[in-house]
Amino acid sequence: MTEEKKDTVTLTIDGQEVTVPKGTNLIEAAKQIKTEIPHYCYHPHLSVPGNCRMCQVEVVGAPKLMIGCHTQAQDGMEVRTQETSKEVKDAQAATLEFILINHPLDCTVCDQAGHCKLQDYHYEYNAKPSRFIEEKVKKVKAESLGPNVILDGERCIMCTRCIRFCDEVTETGELGMLNRGDKSVISINPGKELNNPLASTVVDLCPVGALTHKNWRFNTRIWYTKETNAICPGCSTGCNTKIAVRDDQVVQVKARLNSKVNKEWMCDEGRYGMERFLPKSRITSSFENKSEINFDDAIKKLSSAFGKSSAIFISPNLLTEEFYLLKQILSASECKAQVVVAYKERELSKEEAVLISPDYAANYKGAQFVGLLGSDIAAQYESAIKDLAAGKFTNLIFIGDNSIDDRDKTVSVFSAINNAESSVAICLDSESGFMDSCNLLIPGKSVLEKSGLLVNKDNFLQYTQSVLDGPKGAKTEWEIFQSLAKSLNIPTTSAQSDRELTNWFFSEQEKLSGSTIKKIKSEGVSL
Amino acid sequence: MTTEHHKVLSANLDNENLHQLDTYISLGGFEAFKKALKMEPAQIIEEVKKSGLRGRGGACFPTGVKWSFMPTNSDKESYLINNADESEPGTYKDRLLMERNPMLVIEGMLIASLAMKAVHSFIYVRGEYAFPYERTKDAIKECYERGYLGKNIQGSNFSHEMTIHRGAGAYICGEETALMESLEGKKGQPRLKPPFPAGYGLYGKHTTINNCETLATVPWIIQNGGEAYSKIGVESCPGTHLMCISGHVNKPGIYEIDMGYPILDFIENEAGGIRNGNKLKAVVPGGSSTVVLTAEDCKGVNIDAESLKAAGSAMGSSAMIVMDDTTDMTEAVLNLSHFYSHESCGQCTPCREGGHWIEKIFARIAKCEGQETDLELIEKVCGQIGGHTICAFGDTMILPYLSIIEKFKDEFVAKIKKSNSSKSLLDRRALNFELGAH
Repeated sequence: MTEEKKDTVTLTIDGQEVTVPKGTNLIEAAKQIKTEIPHYCYHPHLSVPGNCRMCQVEVVGAPKLMIGCHTQAQDGMEVRTQETSKEVKDAQAATLEFILINHPLDCTVCDQAGHCKLQDYHYEYNAKPSRFIEEKVKKVKAESLGPNVILDGERCIMCTRCIRFCDEVTETGELGMLNRGDKSVISINPGKELNNPLASTVVDLCPVGALTHKNWRFNTRIWYTKETNAICPGCSTGCNTKIAVRDDQVVQVKARLNSKVNKEWMCDEGRYGMERFLPKSRITSSFENKSEINFDDAIKKLSSAFGKSSAIFISPNLLTEEFYLLKQILSASECKAQVVVAYKERELSKEEAVLISPDYAANYKGAQFVGLLGSDIAAQYESAIKDLAAGKFTNLIFIGDNSIDDRDKTVSVFSAINNAESSVAICLDSESGFMDSCNLLIPGKSVLEKSGLLVNKDNFLQYTQSVLDGPKGAKTEWEIFQSLAKSLNIPTTSAQSDRELTNWFFSEQEKLSGSTIKKIKSEGVSL
Repeated sequence: MTTEHHKVLSANLDNENLHQLDTYISLGGFEAFKKALKMEPAQIIEEVKKSGLRGRGGACFPTGVKWSFMPTNSDKESYLINNADESEPGTYKDRLLMERNPMLVIEGMLIASLAMKAVHSFIYVRGEYAFPYERTKDAIKECYERGYLGKNIQGSNFSHEMTIHRGAGAYICGEETALMESLEGKKGQPRLKPPFPAGYGLYGKHTTINNCETLATVPWIIQNGGEAYSKIGVESCPGTHLMCISGHVNKPGIYEIDMGYPILDFIENEAGGIRNGNKLKAVVPGGSSTVVLTAEDCKGVNIDAESLKAAGSAMGSSAMIVMDDTTDMTEAVLNLSHFYSHESCGQCTPCREGGHWIEKIFARIAKCEGQETDLELIEKVCGQIGGHTICAFGDTMILPYLSIIEKFKDEFVAKIKKSNSSKSLLDRRALNFELGAH
């Protein structure tokens, strides 16, 4: 008991007692009582520069206000935030007034409007007309920093988050601050370009509209979009993202803070690569030998193909629940097929390895978790692809567009599929090659079109929410598996929705009993 | 009638070859260092404490106490930095030392390094000081060649390296943590404290930063004893100091004077009085970042830390700026505010934005375009800056602004009243004000 006490400190914030680990700063400590100490420059995963002065708090006994980001909680400390201290409130209003004096009043055309910390805090902590009647400082506008990011120097509040990200996380050091005083401006260091693999994270980190995405700026007001908390399916890191959609189009992708997974970083490949999971040309009904058939007939054909199949190639981007359903069907049926998940590693540069995993397999760990696959998945897949190209499999089933790694979608592989006795594909893209090569096609859904569980490379279970509904006619893989099980007379889930499926899955898994979607959605669970 | 002052720092300055090692040694140079070599580090610190020497950079912190903050048993190395980034407006005393007597500076640094067991010391020279830099650099080179720097200095087991670095001309690099950032090759911007330099300083090592003049005073103290030094000047702030005087006096320059010398005597006797027989109007006593004193305020005030503090101002960097009765205070403060807004490092919000805002208001007032609310606004904005910044820049910048407005309010009000004629301009502003010009 006494030893445990040594690692924590107890203080009061706005009269409420809070116990936090030693070394915790006041911004983090205040979160425990759901008080937000406003801040711009502070980020929990970057160094603390203390330059914005927004997080000033009163520490009883200190001669002046302290900054919450740089002040460590100490035993017996008495802290007053804006909730209880007028001095703090005034200091925050003063800071906002200062930040705003040279900030352009261009919210009407600014992409950040609606999710801008300057707007939010202004309404919350200042909301007074400015006393500034001088001319504002002119700075660079629309300066390209790299292939994807563009800077509006006048909107910048000099919080230096972007500089610190490039210095401390990617260690590529592209950005710096030029000039002094109110002429200060963020700039690219000589001979550099903001093109590191995580470069566009700086846009997420920018609390205002100074840094924007070249290809997404001016495309929509954020309040016209639907924002969804999804997990990036690009690799097995499982970055937490917020995907904004308008008129069935992804219009912006932001990284979401999750200290246990991606902090608040995201790679450009994942961010700008969502289209990879949302092909433009979709299969919307089932086909047998290129002629349309109805879904029930397709399931009948699938169940007969299933019994005699010699190899099943599965996309690594299925939900964990779907892997489990498939596992159940495989164990209950006579199917003797070789089952592989497309898992193929790749080389990463030092900067990519900061965040990116060396695969294109979002949920291979989910397949392992439910016992569908063993540990040696890379070798299994490699030999299966070799056998496939050599024509060793007579009856094939492919589940998902990514059931074969893009690098293996070669002429020899597709001609082998063509020459097989029978081949079935559950897929999305009518131009993926499966359309021409397979006898039976059933329209599936993208990982971005369903909600459920994904397990990242560190066995961290997370919940992804569907970003889009998917086209009419397409079925989620679990709906297809459910129908397949029924047609094979195998007992299965009676779930009618993604949500019911996940809850059913929890009840099936001893390890996850008592779990709730809400709990996993908020942060995730280590398995 | 002139008073005789002690000559601690300016004793041999008229010797043209003083910067050369042989001349310096022939005049008794490096004797104090040799004495210090035989002393224990703690003894040296004790002697400096006894002398009562207070830092000459502006904060008047007791030097011996500062040295004792350095840990005595640490695995990490210790460094000494000589802060010669003398940029406070009106101050040019360190320049004289580096130009004319660089060996004294080096000797002081060696003794300080002995006391704090520093293995490496650095001189950070103001960017504009090309000649002092060259002189001191040559002096260091000569010391290396003659065994006063480097391995086993003068056959002792004390080894010490010394590096001189010339800044790029930013005022803020005189702030000790910004100086260290700059020395490390980064942009000169102050660090957050804690950690303090004694614990985590240059390159993360234990570091003490002293002003150039402070270090140059140390050899005399070691040679003559702390007690002897403490008897010069006044008890609370003993010794002599190099006083820079500029502005509307007949003989501007640097004078070594004992602490506790009356301001008005200094202006009259040493500096030759006010130019053209004009009347004294205002004095900034310790470099521009101190509270301004009116002629009336100066009566009975002596030049030492405590007396100036009692008068509401500060000793600062011993740089007196004198203004006669022809001075337009609205222009004087505009000049100052331009300096501060230009030199704000731009790191933290209140100083970066507020400093410029105030300059713009002062500019309007000086041009007779002020508004009635301007003076109150400046005071409020100053209040929003002071106490809310990373370093002391913001805290000190507002001191001259507020004191000049307070003490010469009539001049500001008169100019603002004049502005009422330019009506169209005001109309435009009134509109802006209503809308809130964010």
